[in-house]
Amino acid sequence: MTRKTIQYSFIVVVLIIAGSVFFAFKEFNRTKKDVAETEAAYTLSSNDIISAFSSDEKAANLKFLDKTIAINGLIKSNDKDEQGMYTIVLGDSASMSSVRCRMDSIHNQEAINLKTGMPITVKGICTGFNADEMLGSDVILNRCTIKIN
Amino acid sequence: MKKISIALTFLILCLQAAHAQDKFFTKSGKINFNATAPASPEKIEGINKSVTCVVDTKTGNMQFAVLMKGFEFERALMEEHFNENYVESNVYPKTEFKGAISNNATVNYTKDGVYPVKVKGKLSMHGEIREVETDGKITVKAGKINASAVFSVALTDYKISIPALVADKIAKKANIIVDCSLEPLK
Repeated sequence: MTRKTIQYSFIVVVLIIAGSVFFAFKEFNRTKKDVAETEAAYTLSSNDIISAFSSDEKAANLKFLDKTIAINGLIKSNDKDEQGMYTIVLGDSASMSSVRCRMDSIHNQEAINLKTGMPITVKGICTGFNADEMLGSDVILNRCTIKIN
Repeated sequence: MKKISIALTFLILCLQAAHAQDKFFTKSGKINFNATAPASPEKIEGINKSVTCVVDTKTGNMQFAVLMKGFEFERALMEEHFNENYVESNVYPKTEFKGAISNNATVNYTKDGVYPVKVKGKLSMHGEIREVETDGKITVKAGKINASAVFSVALTDYKISIPALVADKIAKKANIIVDCSLEPLK
């Protein structure tokens, strides 16, 4: 081996190490992608997603869990918690069941002027179904953003 | 005039009796999961703000349900590892607790105050069911109640294994903080 090949291979090794450190660092610090910038995998009404989960929870979990989903429906209530974060509840006001959409902190302001009875489309990540006979069964969406009809 | 006021008082008393609630609930309770090892330089902590909780003040029975996918971590990678490698939320999407307040008689749900309670019940997580017992607090204020508790669970009890590579970062026991503001169930 000449002095030059040793020099070159040394540079290559350093570059590979620097590259992998950079990628590892980037991956480690990766933040979740903004839901507003992701395309919805499914768009459906609040009643349709509730019935999909109540009729076959397993199949619905496979289909919707972790996916970005756009839900349209009427606002049943718009709840604000102690930290000022909004949860938009969509669904039929006669039924106990609903789709509960918890706003993303960066999109929270979009929910301020929403009133009960307004038609709306909310986009968020589906985290699952909470079945409860007494309280009504809910589909839960996290990190939501608003798309006004 | 006197008759009217008596009738009114009676009516108000009747209404109050009709409004006396046994069950309290929330669908936006909070559970904080913290598995940061003492020596770990980074926080391993997730929070879920969509916890369902029901308390029956008459019997002291209480129930919690939480969707594992609803835990939010600061780093995306951590959240993915939590879901995919540890709690396997695709297979076990829900964690539930069913139990009761053992000293329910000592809590006066109609009088404002802070009441220490003991809660005992079954926690089912990651496909395993274990008996848990913890001290908690019931705060009664203006017709609403708040249920809070801090306890820890050993991850091995629920067959959650931690790879040796990250064993120094993830605590063997996860600290769970429960905080639920409950409203009367109508």
